[in-house]
Amino acid sequence: MARAVTPRRKAINSAVAWTLAILIFFPIFWTVLTSFKTEAQAIADPPLFFNFDWTLENYVTVQERSNYFRHFWNSVVISVGSTLLGVIIAVPAAWAMAFVPGKQTKNVLMWMLSTKMLPPVGVLVPIYLIFRNVGLLDTRTGLVIVLTLINLPIIVWMLYTYFREIPGEILEAARMDGATLRSEILYVLTPMAVPGIASTVLLNIILAWNEAFWTLNLTAANAAPLTAFIASYSSPEGLFYAKLSAASTMAIAPILIMGWFSQKQLVRGLTFGAVK
Amino acid sequence: MGQITLNKVTKSFGEVQVIPPLDLDINDGEFVVFVGPSGCGKSTLLRLIAGLEDVTSGDIVIDGTPATDLPPAKRRLAMVFQSYALYPHMSVRKNIAFPMKMAGVSQEEQQRRIDGAAKALNLTDYLDRRPGQLSGGQRQRVAIGRAIVREPAAFLFDEPLSNLDAALRVGMRLEISELHKRLETTMIYVTHDQVEAMTMADKIVVLRAGHIEQVGSPLELYRTPRNLFVAGFIGSPKMNLIEGAEAGKHGANTIGVRPEHVRVTETGPWSGVVGVSEHLGSDTFLHVHDTGLCDVMTVRAGGELNVHHGDRISLTPDTDKMHRFDAEGLRIA
Amino acid sequence: MATQHSRAAARFMIAPSVLLLLGWMLIPLGMTIYFSLLRYNLLMPGNNPFVGFENYSYFLSDPTFLTAMLNTLLLVGGVLLITTVGGILLALLIDQPIWGQGIVRILVIAPFFVMPTVSALVWKNMFMNPVNGLFAWVADLMGLQPYDFLASAPLLSIIGMVSWTWLPFATLILLTALQSLDSEQLEAAEMDGAGPVSRFFHIMLPHLARAITVVILIQTIFHLSIFAEILVTTNGGPGVASTNLTYLVYAESLLRFDVGTGSAGGVVAIILANIVAIFLMRMIGKNLDA
Repeated sequence: MARAVTPRRKAINSAVAWTLAILIFFPIFWTVLTSFKTEAQAIADPPLFFNFDWTLENYVTVQERSNYFRHFWNSVVISVGSTLLGVIIAVPAAWAMAFVPGKQTKNVLMWMLSTKMLPPVGVLVPIYLIFRNVGLLDTRTGLVIVLTLINLPIIVWMLYTYFREIPGEILEAARMDGATLRSEILYVLTPMAVPGIASTVLLNIILAWNEAFWTLNLTAANAAPLTAFIASYSSPEGLFYAKLSAASTMAIAPILIMGWFSQKQLVRGLTFGAVK
Repeated sequence: MGQITLNKVTKSFGEVQVIPPLDLDINDGEFVVFVGPSGCGKSTLLRLIAGLEDVTSGDIVIDGTPATDLPPAKRRLAMVFQSYALYPHMSVRKNIAFPMKMAGVSQEEQQRRIDGAAKALNLTDYLDRRPGQLSGGQRQRVAIGRAIVREPAAFLFDEPLSNLDAALRVGMRLEISELHKRLETTMIYVTHDQVEAMTMADKIVVLRAGHIEQVGSPLELYRTPRNLFVAGFIGSPKMNLIEGAEAGKHGANTIGVRPEHVRVTETGPWSGVVGVSEHLGSDTFLHVHDTGLCDVMTVRAGGELNVHHGDRISLTPDTDKMHRFDAEGLRIA
Repeated sequence: MATQHSRAAARFMIAPSVLLLLGWMLIPLGMTIYFSLLRYNLLMPGNNPFVGFENYSYFLSDPTFLTAMLNTLLLVGGVLLITTVGGILLALLIDQPIWGQGIVRILVIAPFFVMPTVSALVWKNMFMNPVNGLFAWVADLMGLQPYDFLASAPLLSIIGMVSWTWLPFATLILLTALQSLDSEQLEAAEMDGAGPVSRFFHIMLPHLARAITVVILIQTIFHLSIFAEILVTTNGGPGVASTNLTYLVYAESLLRFDVGTGSAGGVVAIILANIVAIFLMRMIGKNLDA
């Protein structure tokens, strides 16, 4: 939408936009920058911008002292695992709602969305006790189960909105061509929906990676993903700014990059297809 | 074989009955066209036969076997969709192979049939392309190829030409007719275009609001339309329908005269003022006003006719070929 | 397109999702309700007698509950206000022709991908810390006393942190919605003599209505349950100044191990969330054609 504006207008707009953007981004920039400083430089007054000795020692220390990669791996397993499990459960449901809509379809979708509104704290106690009794507390399996369930409505919704864009005639053609339901979904629907499924997967990995209610409450040392690991810096190690920054940088970097790549699809997923 | 019988088939969507009880016999090898205005239920009828919709009541019998409860895959029918419904992620070859893959046809046999179909449909050079890289006409041919290789009991076409431009439409029409002559397989073809119906069909089924108005060969429908609806729907340009005193003279409530059965003469029983005249070279269609008979009368005259806007002309109808209808709109024999 | 075959298949295909979610909802919910009627403390093993609504009257009459309610509302309302208004303004700005629009966009949305615990710790230590934080340094530069944000204005500080994460979300969604606005509509309005202000109120804002609805809905879902930011910054304090309902229930159940009271609080939280949800679902039901 390139409307014509005067160069002067454009310059002013650009200056304001860039200033705001830099301010908004600054905390991330500052964290990354601080991660390369020594602890003393990190709290120097006045703050140091580029005139310090760059060092990677914080990254090494974080790994050595608290086995960073174990938590990183926990985050990967939990977010990817819960997303894939969710997609496998949701694809058939989304197929049914998109291509065989009934009178209840809209209600079922709305009901699924409403389960997202159940405040997690309302079921914290029973889930905690159940997990404690069956030995799922502080296990990756336990978290995969919980995160699959809490993100399932979003996955179903997202897939549903993508599937609805696939013309039903193509699936009917497959049916006429003798495809069973399984073949129809596996050989026709899924390949056609690859872009949609990919963005669903991406968004849900991001959501699961950053989930910080269940991961904080259901894990201890063993299965703690990065959210819980970072929380352990709240005191007293939080005062070690450089190490905190190094740990934080590593925790957000992968997701930040994934997020940047998928920002277009993200809007759609986060808004249940209401905004494209 | 491809004999299809519908017995008292009905279809309702909720409270609305879109197909009232309907009987129809389709013989093996016939080219049957369902024609009617949009919303007449012709596509629904096709989808009932295909098994993509359930009948509400009644039976469908294909080659003597009850098919009412069979899923589409088991009915041995192939369908060509309006949107072609090609699989966009598969090459042309894979598109055509898909039904055979589903049926577990051997690789060699698949190859043989793909080559045959590609040759017949001029697709040999395009087998490795994706549907997105093809023109509308080529996509249409792929859809037909995918239907042919199944060697179905009958082909179902759902307005297959409506997404093509006019020139291609004529070409594809011929190709489909040619294909029918060669395969001698039953074809059921849905269209809203009476020209397609007239040019392709062995048997036309005229539908309105789910009712069969008339079944017959193109010429039967042209010569003896059973009622006013069929009379008005079949034939291009439309039949002129005249009510009132003039119809009374012929002992009818309404009389119908096709444009080609009215001649421009020196003197004649009818007269009117020429409005627009459409010169096609071979023919001239005159739109004649102020005849006192109907609003505008269409007349087909010779190509070289020299009349001008505003001229008053005399017209003589061909009384032998006049159609008479009673108060209910039914044909008077 | 539906036959009995496909409808039967459809039910079969939806079943796993529906059953799992139903189980996820009903089983813990039933247990929460059941526990809420018992005197049940993990530190005091033994039989857990049925006490009726004792836990509820205890939880609801606790003045902390009212504070937590108020804090929850302020938190949700404050963040919604900042992010929605800010998001509209930012989206309008970025939608203008500017240099490096793509990069601006990337910079602006970045905070949304920062996990809550990281965001909270970075803000708490590196910015809001009254000794070593950047804000203290800035205050110093301007000759002001450093301000201890989390001690003096804990709730406001948390609202600020959460808004930092969610402003990008609102901006991104509203920007996408703005970009889908047909520019011919704006040009037509301009031809009809509409100035920038009336173009905004008569054309852009109505076009954004749906996106704004969604922004509010999604954020409300998340903000009613804000937890990590409070846990790692203030632990609900000082006192209960930054305790929201979620944190209060967490504290009752997992810090004081009072399962009974915690569960009663959980039930209260669910009821309140449902009241909000009913409003929201009405709104979104109209705006989202499923």
